[in-house]
Amino acid sequence: MSALPLFRRALADSWRGLVGWMLGLAAVVGMYLPLYPSIGGNPEFIAIIESLPPELVTALSYDQITTGSGYTLGTVHGLIGFVLVTIAAVGWGASAIAGDEERGTLELTLAHGVSRHQLVLERLAAIVVKLVALTAWVTLLVAVLNGPSELDISTEGILAGGVALLGTGLVTATIGLLAGALTGRRMIAIGAGAGIAVLGYALNALGNQNADLEWLHAISPYHWAYGTNPLESGFDASVGLLYAVAIIASAVAVLAFRRRDVGV
Amino acid sequence: MTPAIDISALTKRYGRTTALHGVDLAIEPGRVFGVIGPNGAGKTTTMRILLDIIRPTSGTVRVLGEDPREAGPALRRRIGYVPGELAMDTRVSGRALLTHYAQLNGASDRARISALAERLGLDLGRPVRSLSKGNKQKVGLVQAFAHSPDLLVLDEPTSGLDPLVQQEFLAMVREARDAGQTVFLSSHVISEIEQVADEVAVLRDGRIVDVSTVDRLRAAALRDVRVTVPAAAGDAFAAELRRLDSAHDVAVAASAEHDIVSARLRDGIPAFLAVLARSTVHDLVVQEPDLERAVLQFYGGDASDASASQTEEVSS
Repeated sequence: MSALPLFRRALADSWRGLVGWMLGLAAVVGMYLPLYPSIGGNPEFIAIIESLPPELVTALSYDQITTGSGYTLGTVHGLIGFVLVTIAAVGWGASAIAGDEERGTLELTLAHGVSRHQLVLERLAAIVVKLVALTAWVTLLVAVLNGPSELDISTEGILAGGVALLGTGLVTATIGLLAGALTGRRMIAIGAGAGIAVLGYALNALGNQNADLEWLHAISPYHWAYGTNPLESGFDASVGLLYAVAIIASAVAVLAFRRRDVGV
Repeated sequence: MTPAIDISALTKRYGRTTALHGVDLAIEPGRVFGVIGPNGAGKTTTMRILLDIIRPTSGTVRVLGEDPREAGPALRRRIGYVPGELAMDTRVSGRALLTHYAQLNGASDRARISALAERLGLDLGRPVRSLSKGNKQKVGLVQAFAHSPDLLVLDEPTSGLDPLVQQEFLAMVREARDAGQTVFLSSHVISEIEQVADEVAVLRDGRIVDVSTVDRLRAAALRDVRVTVPAAAGDAFAAELRRLDSAHDVAVAASAEHDIVSARLRDGIPAFLAVLARSTVHDLVVQEPDLERAVLQFYGGDASDASASQTEEVSS
């Protein structure tokens, strides 16, 4: 008997998508980071930033854009890379149970010698592996471009940035997985996964605006990841909250899926 | 001997609708047990409960002596299942998908998968999503039979299959029974139930209305007949048919070229043939009895009313 059949099947079914996401991330990272010497350190560009409404600048985290780590956070980890990883995580989390169930293919899988919790855990493991691959790839690209693009980010900063990005992806994917395990509805799973990411981003942006709204940072997964720039200051304990939420969401997903009828 | 399937007082409710109202059913091992009934009667719900895909609201279920809720994957490894709404859209080949299912069951018998596929005329090399409905159904059959399970639960297993493959499937069912496997199947096709089932349960609105043998059910079945006679001869022929006890719903459709007399017969075939022999007949069609419809009319209130009014019409 071969080990982890559902895990291996899930990876075999989606490696093409993973390669696509990696190519997309490579294109974006490869486009943005080499521009840093002509943007981030450019006095004219800094003048443009200073002329923008300060609310907009803080919302986009462009107030740190004059440093290599701030620029990388504002373009890759906190913006385009975050968006791409989020979309991939939403799709994977929603399809693991809810998508499979809506297509009608989950019923036959469950009719074989697998338990409900085994199915959730093996498919979760496949998602984790894919998200680790995506974020490790981004981390590698940043490390490679760090010198040529004059970013001057420390090794710890590069690693901490990758760990934070992975954390945001895990929260999004596991919330989507949980919603799918509870409801079996793909659109609800997509809404939950994307919702937590968008909400986290919005709460962070609002919290940046003034001291009265700063408390919103405490409930923003985005802020847990990037409230203190990991690329600048390295590992921060608040990133652990992302992983805690992902673990709790996964555990609840397992319990919820064990209890309910499938495909009705 | 422990029944292969033992269901008592099984109830399933979805919110306000009740799919099963206290179903009792016992199936002895080594038997082929057919279940018929219209859509929504509860056939699929019952089968899904056996596989622990959905959970009963109340009642007890024992499959191969175990409770599906508690027994877990080990029990399902002993069951082969073809779902009623078989969906397969993976990019991988039939062979890869079937190997995957075999691995879930903890056994990978490639030779048996290949033999079954060859028997049904299934190309294992093609991506599953590119297969026709009939060929996907063959994949469904192979995965159910591949691990030689003690129990086969087959929900409309021949839908989409051409007649030759249906025959091959029926042979597989007989061989399974001969090997001591138990088969629980639903079908809309009377000949299929008739050819393989030892017993038949009739399910209606979530209740078992009868458990019987095929012969007994068949005796109750109505056959549609259509006789083409020369123009203007239809009424006389119809009058002769109405004199037969076994004929119902006699009607005439006249046209310039010929008349078509239609009727429904419940046994009484020799008397019908005698009427035919006395008449000029251009064409004759006798349809296979629709077991499902006949049984439902036999046990349902509406049908007896309909045949009562028919009798009145004949006598008046």
